[in-house]
Amino acid sequence: MTLLTHHPLFAIALTLAAFLIAAWLYRRSGWLVLQPVLVSVTLIVATLLLCGVDYATYRAGAEPVAWLLGPATVALAVPLQHNIKRIRQLFWPVLITLTAGGVLSVALTLAIGWALGADWSVVMSLAPKFVTMPIAMPVAEQIGGVASLAAVMVMLTGVIGTAMGPLLLRWAGVDHPAARGLSYGINAHAIGTAHALQEGEECGAFAALAMSLLGIGTALLLPLLLA
Amino acid sequence: MMVRGLFWLVVLQLFGVALNHWLLPMLPASIIGLLLLSVWLMWRGAVPEPLQQAAGGLLPYLPLLLAVPASGIMTSSDLLLGELPVIATALVLSLLVTVPFCGWLLQTLIRRQERKG
Repeated sequence: MTLLTHHPLFAIALTLAAFLIAAWLYRRSGWLVLQPVLVSVTLIVATLLLCGVDYATYRAGAEPVAWLLGPATVALAVPLQHNIKRIRQLFWPVLITLTAGGVLSVALTLAIGWALGADWSVVMSLAPKFVTMPIAMPVAEQIGGVASLAAVMVMLTGVIGTAMGPLLLRWAGVDHPAARGLSYGINAHAIGTAHALQEGEECGAFAALAMSLLGIGTALLLPLLLA
Repeated sequence: MMVRGLFWLVVLQLFGVALNHWLLPMLPASIIGLLLLSVWLMWRGAVPEPLQQAAGGLLPYLPLLLAVPASGIMTSSDLLLGELPVIATALVLSLLVTVPFCGWLLQTLIRRQERKG
C-alpha cells in the first residue's frame, strides 16, 4: 500500500481527482460556497491523512502540477492587457479603492485579532494576509511573523473570501464587473482571482490588477512602515 | 503554438528569479514576471497568438494549481490550531466588511466618473 501512496504518481492522481470532483460538484450543486479550491484542499488533506502520507512527500510528488502556478501567474498579464483601456480609464478610482480597501483590511483584521486576544506573533502574521499567496510568505518572514502561518492565513482568507464574496457583493448591490473583480483581488487574492476569471474576463483582469498591485505595494511598504 | 507561449512565460519567470535574487528580494519571481510581461504587452499594444493560447490554456486551471500549495495548510503548527477560532473569527468579521466595502466604493466612484464624463 505504501508503495502506491508514496509513489509520485499518487500525488498527481490525487490532485487531479480532487480537482475533477470539486469542479463537478461546483457545477452540479451551483453552490458558490463549494469553491473548487476549498473542496480540492479538503479532499487532498483528508486523503493524505487517511493514507498516512505527509505533506512534504505529497508536495514533492505533485511538483509536475504545482510548477505551472508560476507561469500561470505570469500569464495574468494577458487578461490585464485585454482590459488595459478600461484600467487606464479607471486609474484613480482603482487607486483610491485599493488604498482604502488595503488599509481598512489590515486595520480591521489586526484590531479584531487584538480585541479577541490572539497571540502577538499570530496577529503579526495576519498583517500581510491580504497579499497574494506566493508573496505573503517572505513578507511575513521579514516582519517577524511565522512564515508558514502567513501562508495558512492567506489561504484561509482566500478560501473564506471567495466562498462568501459572491453573496456579500450581491447583498451590497455590486454588479459592476470591475468593482466585483477588484474586491475579489483585494480580499481573496489568488483564489479570488481564479474565481473572478470564471465570472468574466473584465472581472478577472481587475482581480489580477488588485492582487498584483496590492501584493507589490505591501511587499515594498510594510517592512518600511514596521521598521 | 501553446508550447511557444508557455516557453515565453517560463523565460519571463526565470528573469523574475534573477531579478528577485539580485535586486528585489521582497518580490516573488512570478510577480516580477507578471510585471515584465505587462510592461512588454503595453509597449507592444497587443497580445501575440502563442501567449494568448498559453494563457487561455493555463488560467482556467488556476484552482487546480492553487490546490497543491494550499493543501500545505495541513502542516500548520499547534500554535495556529490553538488560535484557529480567533483567527477564523477575525478573518470572517473583517471580510464581512471589506468585501462589500471595496466593491461598493469602486462601483460608486465609477458611476460618479461616468456621470461627469
